[in-house]
Amino acid sequence: MADDVAYPHLPTESPLGAPLDWAWLRGTRAEWGIHPKPSPRGLTMLDIATGTYGDVPDRPPHRSMAPRGADVDDDTADMGYILNRKTDVWADNVVELYEEAVARQWSATRDIPWGELRELPSDLEHAMCQLCTLLTEVEMIAADLPAKWMWRLNHDFIEAKMFLCTQIMDEARHAEVFRKRALANGGGLLLSRSGPTSLLRTIIEAKTYTQASALMHLLGEGFVLDIFRMGELIAPTDVEKRIFRMCMQDEARHVAYGTMHLRYAVEHDPDVAEEIHEALDVGEQVLIDFGTAPDVSTALAVLLAGGTEHVEDKGFPLSLELTKKQLTSYLARCERAGVGRLGRSVIPFDLLGMDVDALQATAKSAP
Amino acid sequence: MSAGIGTVAFFDALADEMNAHPERYAPLGEAEMVVEVVMSAPTGDFRARLAFEGLGCSGVTAVDGAPDADFRLTGPLEAWQAMFDDIVAHGRATGKHTINSLALMGDEIVCLGDDPMGLDKFSRFNQTLQEFLDGARHVAAGAR
Repeated sequence: MADDVAYPHLPTESPLGAPLDWAWLRGTRAEWGIHPKPSPRGLTMLDIATGTYGDVPDRPPHRSMAPRGADVDDDTADMGYILNRKTDVWADNVVELYEEAVARQWSATRDIPWGELRELPSDLEHAMCQLCTLLTEVEMIAADLPAKWMWRLNHDFIEAKMFLCTQIMDEARHAEVFRKRALANGGGLLLSRSGPTSLLRTIIEAKTYTQASALMHLLGEGFVLDIFRMGELIAPTDVEKRIFRMCMQDEARHVAYGTMHLRYAVEHDPDVAEEIHEALDVGEQVLIDFGTAPDVSTALAVLLAGGTEHVEDKGFPLSLELTKKQLTSYLARCERAGVGRLGRSVIPFDLLGMDVDALQATAKSAP
Repeated sequence: MSAGIGTVAFFDALADEMNAHPERYAPLGEAEMVVEVVMSAPTGDFRARLAFEGLGCSGVTAVDGAPDADFRLTGPLEAWQAMFDDIVAHGRATGKHTINSLALMGDEIVCLGDDPMGLDKFSRFNQTLQEFLDGARHVAAGAR
């Protein structure tokens, strides 16, 4: 740390006679000389989370944009933040996920082998375009929602804010890549119905950030992650396989953050669990309406069947099996987040032919 | 190389292939994960731990103790052989032979794990893992 005796001969006035302030050079209370060591990948955010700079306060003393660890004026401006508790936004994996997101950015223009697209039978092209229409529509909610909350997030939680910035960029890229795929192979954008919008409105109108995170990261993006995994399975060419795999990687980061944020929130404030459950009670019902919307289910069934010819004997049965896997994954994520939904969920597991006892057993280990 | 797929030598060859071609992995970005591969056979299971760091595979080790990985991919040797045969035949995994497709269907190869943050990595680094497995196109996958 610099001290008052350093640099004793500095001028007190500028050449124009204005008073000068050398406090930044001597006598600040901020920690000095921590010398973080770069990891083999370079100097990461994890590497610099050392000394007091690595201390993330449970309740930050300021509500300004002052960087955490700086020597902050007491009368610094209040930015109007409302997410001022660490439990509001934090996740133990958020710094790691930020670095991962930065390292694994990709380009929908450059990193997809668009030149390898080949003409598909008309029914398959229509089904892929319908799926891409839906995904182009729903992906941007995961950009709009963090954008809605980020300016309300205390700046001491800068790593969480930075991670949400990467999520916004990821979702922009997803909207881009699915829009491009819909147009790139002789097809186009197809039907957009009211069902998805109902789901999106439910997410964007969540009353608290933690409820929003439950609806978006855990429920919405969790289901979309599984749609991406299914998309990779049924992709007619390697172009779509790569699109879905690349999107899957991004989406999994968002789900990982949300799951661990909810877990952190519940661990530190058990009362929050009921708040999350209430959001999921509503969200699950809306998601059922969304998931059973005919455009989504029929397009997926056609892709699963490899065309319309076997949609009944192959497409729909396989679709049902994958829906069960999707729900199993969702329940597992809820368990991990500390908000187990078995016994509370409004999803009709019995009607889907799912064994609730077996679900209880597998909920802790499904990917 | 001619080692069967259920050997450390085979996965060492895949690791060498990855480490010799960082240019394939640089566009995907660094990956940090530890994967355990389990191939079951009547003569006994083969288990290997694969450690991925940065743009490479930093270690392949045989496993005989308790699982110690972010996630485990486990299935019968024949299912793994079919996957590698498809990669060799087509230059990369196709259709339902990609590792995501196999694990999603879960009929033969399943993805398991106890640590939620570790299990996530199967999806978070999936393209890297697929690229690694696709390296078998350069490594003769003659098992049996």
